[in-house]
Amino acid sequence: MIFPEGAAARTDTTDVAGRVYDVVIVGAGISGAIIADRLSREGRSVLLLEAAPADDLTISGYETYLNRFYGTAMKDNQAPYPVLPPVPMPRSTDARPLPPGGGPNTGGYLVQDGPHSTDTTYTRVLGGTTLHWEAKILRMLPEDFELSRRYGQGLPWPLGYDELEPLYREAEREIGVSADIEDQRYLGLHYPPDYVYPMRGLPASFLDQTVAKGIDGTSIRVGDDEEIPIRVRPFPQGRNGIPNPAYDAGRGFTPVGAVSTHQVEEGGRCQGNNNCVPICPVQAKYHAGKTLARTLHRDVDLLAQAVAYKVHTDPENGRVTRIEYRRYQDPQSTAYETGFAQGRTYVLATNAIENARLMLASGLQDRADLIGRNLMDHAYLLTWARLPEVAGTMRGTNCTSGITDLRGGRFRRDRASFSIDIHNDGWGWATGAPVTDLLRIVDQDHQYGFGLRRSLVDQVSTQLLLAHMIEVLPDRDNRVTVDPRYRDELGNMRPVISFKVPDYTMRGAAFARDLSRQLFGKLGAEDHTGYDPAEYGYVEFGGDGYRILGGNHLAGTHVMGTSPATSVVDDHQRSWEHENLYLVGGGSMPTIGTANTTLTSTALCLRTAKHLIQELRRQDRPVTLATIGAR
Amino acid sequence: MTPHTLLAERRLPAEIDTMAELEAYLNAALRLEHATIPPYLTALYSLHPGANSDARHLIRVVAVEEMLHLTLVANVMNAVGLRVDLTADDFVPRYPAHLPSGEIDFLVSVQPFSQAAVTTFLNIERPAKAPNESSRLLPRPDLGAGTVLAASPIDPSRRFYSIGEFYEEIDRGLRHLDHLYRAEGRELFTGDVARQVTAEYFYSGGGEIVVVHDLASALKALELITEQGEGLGGGIYDGEGELSHYYRFQQLQLGHYYQQGDVPGRPSGPPLDVDFTAVYPVAIDAALADYPAGSPVREAAQRFNGTYGDFLAHLTAAYDGEPRKLLEAVPWMFRLRDDIEHLIRNPFPGRPGVHASPVFTRAPEERS
Amino acid sequence: MILDDFVAFSSEVTGFTEFDLIGTGQAESYLRTVTEVVGERTLADLLDAYRARVTDTGDEQARAGQLTGAVLGDDRLGPIARNIIKLWYSGTWFALPDDWTGRFGAPGREGTFNASPQAYTQGLLWYAIGANPPGARAPGYGSWASPPLIPALPPSPVPQSVRTGS
Ligand SMILES: Cc1cc2nc3c(=O)[nH]c(=O)nc-3n(C[C@H](O)[C@H](O)[C@H](O)COP(=O)(O)OP(=O)(O)OC[C@H]3O[C@@H](n4cnc5c(N)ncnc54)[C@H](O)[C@@H]3O)c2cc1C
Ligand code: SF4
Repeated sequence: MIFPEGAAARTDTTDVAGRVYDVVIVGAGISGAIIADRLSREGRSVLLLEAAPADDLTISGYETYLNRFYGTAMKDNQAPYPVLPPVPMPRSTDARPLPPGGGPNTGGYLVQDGPHSTDTTYTRVLGGTTLHWEAKILRMLPEDFELSRRYGQGLPWPLGYDELEPLYREAEREIGVSADIEDQRYLGLHYPPDYVYPMRGLPASFLDQTVAKGIDGTSIRVGDDEEIPIRVRPFPQGRNGIPNPAYDAGRGFTPVGAVSTHQVEEGGRCQGNNNCVPICPVQAKYHAGKTLARTLHRDVDLLAQAVAYKVHTDPENGRVTRIEYRRYQDPQSTAYETGFAQGRTYVLATNAIENARLMLASGLQDRADLIGRNLMDHAYLLTWARLPEVAGTMRGTNCTSGITDLRGGRFRRDRASFSIDIHNDGWGWATGAPVTDLLRIVDQDHQYGFGLRRSLVDQVSTQLLLAHMIEVLPDRDNRVTVDPRYRDELGNMRPVISFKVPDYTMRGAAFARDLSRQLFGKLGAEDHTGYDPAEYGYVEFGGDGYRILGGNHLAGTHVMGTSPATSVVDDHQRSWEHENLYLVGGGSMPTIGTANTTLTSTALCLRTAKHLIQELRRQDRPVTLATIGAR
Repeated sequence: MTPHTLLAERRLPAEIDTMAELEAYLNAALRLEHATIPPYLTALYSLHPGANSDARHLIRVVAVEEMLHLTLVANVMNAVGLRVDLTADDFVPRYPAHLPSGEIDFLVSVQPFSQAAVTTFLNIERPAKAPNESSRLLPRPDLGAGTVLAASPIDPSRRFYSIGEFYEEIDRGLRHLDHLYRAEGRELFTGDVARQVTAEYFYSGGGEIVVVHDLASALKALELITEQGEGLGGGIYDGEGELSHYYRFQQLQLGHYYQQGDVPGRPSGPPLDVDFTAVYPVAIDAALADYPAGSPVREAAQRFNGTYGDFLAHLTAAYDGEPRKLLEAVPWMFRLRDDIEHLIRNPFPGRPGVHASPVFTRAPEERS
Repeated sequence: MILDDFVAFSSEVTGFTEFDLIGTGQAESYLRTVTEVVGERTLADLLDAYRARVTDTGDEQARAGQLTGAVLGDDRLGPIARNIIKLWYSGTWFALPDDWTGRFGAPGREGTFNASPQAYTQGLLWYAIGANPPGARAPGYGSWASPPLIPALPPSPVPQSVRTGS
């Protein structure tokens, strides 16, 4: 994919001040990029305000991310990305256990008010968090949209699976998803009869196959009235595989590879680097830069290093009048100038935490007091064990398969559903393997030479880690707020996070822990799971200790619904209170089920784009004076 | 000497008149496509890791596309019922080797990345159309040492003006034979389609595999090979909008990338950097016998040589009815990469300032 | 030459041949790294101890005993030797333990750091288990579906140069 040379720098503050765009979009992640793409395709003028610096996307620029990653000893999931004073971001290494009942941790970008301390992250670079995401592309289940009606849990959705289904397909094309449709018909997930994914499924890892051999066909008893058979099932993935010739009624699919200002043939197919998080070295994994590159060939202005500071509104009618941003010249310094951007419509696409932060920092809490509330994020519970035989752990994409049969069921009346990932990178997430294994074998077991090599095979190639991604329901008290005491170096108020893992989720966690014991038993695997009360994320529940890690699937801070009394936006993600403002992304989701959020939030953004196209067209039509309003 | 036959379609003379002659040509094409892979891989992996990102990407893409070309030739062979074999003792040339081109002015070597290597690459891929019909085939003087690739396989005393003209001959031959077969009520393309390598089994990055089942698809496969090398009709891009190999390499000399709309020789895209010093000085055209007997480097070179032979045998199986096996070829190439890199970083025993090099040419049996 | 000695010692303690180690392209860089942190003298002491006490010992059992006694079990040399192993395996130099710096002096460079970006990509840890360092040396599409190809151990733990006395 060719990035138009110079596009990253062709717009400056003066150009922006001199224009009224059809749409001003804040945030150039997948949500912002897709809306910009669809609107510019219709000939609409678009401004993208992006907080991060943006050089033209090139292979060599991308390789500086890669080299930064190679060069650091501490490879956390933000390691490839630069730490810049004007655009701080959350980092898992900033998470600390909080003292019981008190005291925020203000050490990182996120101010953590607790009681739970999360290590959830997002990335502020051009292309947003998709640079570092894993790109597991699950649809939500039909029953996920009916959770409140069927099981009396969560907030109601204003739309259902059938309305989103065509948009899911469109998002699957945009992201470029690899999966075999035969594997993805379960728990009511349905597709048009002739649908196939753009690319064939990625082969299951040898580790997956080993687990499948041991557990496929096992039936799990859930509660008194449910018996659920389980099997290992591949996940749809947003990374390039073998194009399916049957896609698009036989027209096939052309994968989108690496982005650069010159032609490169790279990234057309995943190479198994096992590094999807935090950076795919060849760009076989989708990132929003791919959508941006295409979009910037059109009438789209990108103003980078522009951090939205305040949304200004007309007190009379609530309409947004302009976005005030702070633009820094030098990414290493916090000196800035103030600028304003004007449009007919405005889209905030900075992700669930930042959208809420920006609204609240602008003094725009809605009358129902919902902005920032209902913060959701999947709760991850890890369990790990050693298999009796070498399973070739540490190869493949981060995760090729898992167990998804417990994503749905009647048990959701009283406890959370979950999806299980089989992690091809072994115990890495839980223990820092394999480097920590190396340290132990050398420093404590005093192994060297052949003994060391043998021990590594015995102790690493046998690792199995199950990551249980557990549903979290909306809860008013889980929220993002702002506090003038906590600002970043550019003067923006930082997000303050208050979060408690709901009991509903913890009941799911307890069940998951139990289930993994059963599964390890079946596999003859030795359970090595342990949760340290001294570490952040530790939760006591029902007399047992667990460690709940952040899911990076932020949602809920501006939920959609059918009325301004119970929601912030309508089913087009349009703000109830600010007619020309759209709050988009995961924040609009009233529940998150057990699907990684991006496919659904992208489908919602596609819906918003369609709506905006119509809305702008409607506004363009000569109509009676009364409805033209202030413009 | 074959009689000149006029083709119904294009009325052009072809040298190829029989299936046996076509086979000789296609076998020569296999050798030709393969012969460029060892030099490209060696130059590629001689680059210091972390340096020369631009050159690395350029050479990598071309090397992978040579694999595609090899596969396309195999598809054409399978389509007309011919068998593919990459395991003959002399399949890999003895470097330095000649390739056919307008002037007999260069040899292809297995050598480190250098100005000279870039010049050679340009020579290999250069667009060259014979000035007139009679100069397509030229007399070939005795060139002495080195293998001569793809001279006229039928008449060794003659050679083609360029690789493009060589493929032009196959193009004409296929049209001609197809015509002859039809006239006799026979079918030229009788190969089992299950033997074809499809896009599912081979992925090259740029350029898609062509499944060959009739004359049109066979010609399309050949066209892709020549266009990827030298561009379409004198332009810098091929029919799919992909920059041709010749112009890719030329960017290394001119210091800029080409972009759409550019004319040959004037790339106007972003600048690109080349550092000819960030390269391991690998031995040029080393033979196994050059390494001291019993040295670990010799053992490794020998092991690599064997592995490379196994790789060609594996490819042969893939091209001989088991296309699925080509899926494993990519991981295999990545393992070869690791082996080559290991060799290249080791000094050449007894030659100060020179590094070891992979030996692709099959070693004569008696040495060990 | 110190580089040869360093590689020979490294070969014995890592379990990889000298050819493999040089094949990573990191030998000089690691030698520089170790020298920078612990100084030429200490490194020379370590290599001398190895040469004097281990290289000529033929019997495998006795050899292991000598290596442990003279180098790995030595209070001053042991932590350095283990750090050299970890450096080859991960590309990272790990900070020496506090009690080491307390007793034997401040290192020439503090803390834990990567020898270079390329060092990480050449980590032996991943070679040893038939995998690739995440994000580098990709193994190719679909390779993960087959059992791992775990490389065989060399025929002898004794470095080639020690065996042939070169
Ligand atoms: C480790 C990890 C793994 C993940 N794995 C998956 C997965 O497998 N599947 C899945 O579905 N999801 C996954 N996610 C979640 C996924 O990455 C996000 O849902 C998705 O990227 C959100 O897209 P977005 O465009 O809404 O927001 P972002 O991608 O966060 O983009 C927001 C953009 O806005 C910019 N911005 C922020 N603040 C401002 C401001 N004040 N002014 C101007 N610009 C601003 C940012 O710089 C950024 O470019 C993962 C996330 C992480 C961290
Ligand atoms: S496994 Fe690798 S090549 Fe594939 S998407 Fe992940 S990082 Fe990229």
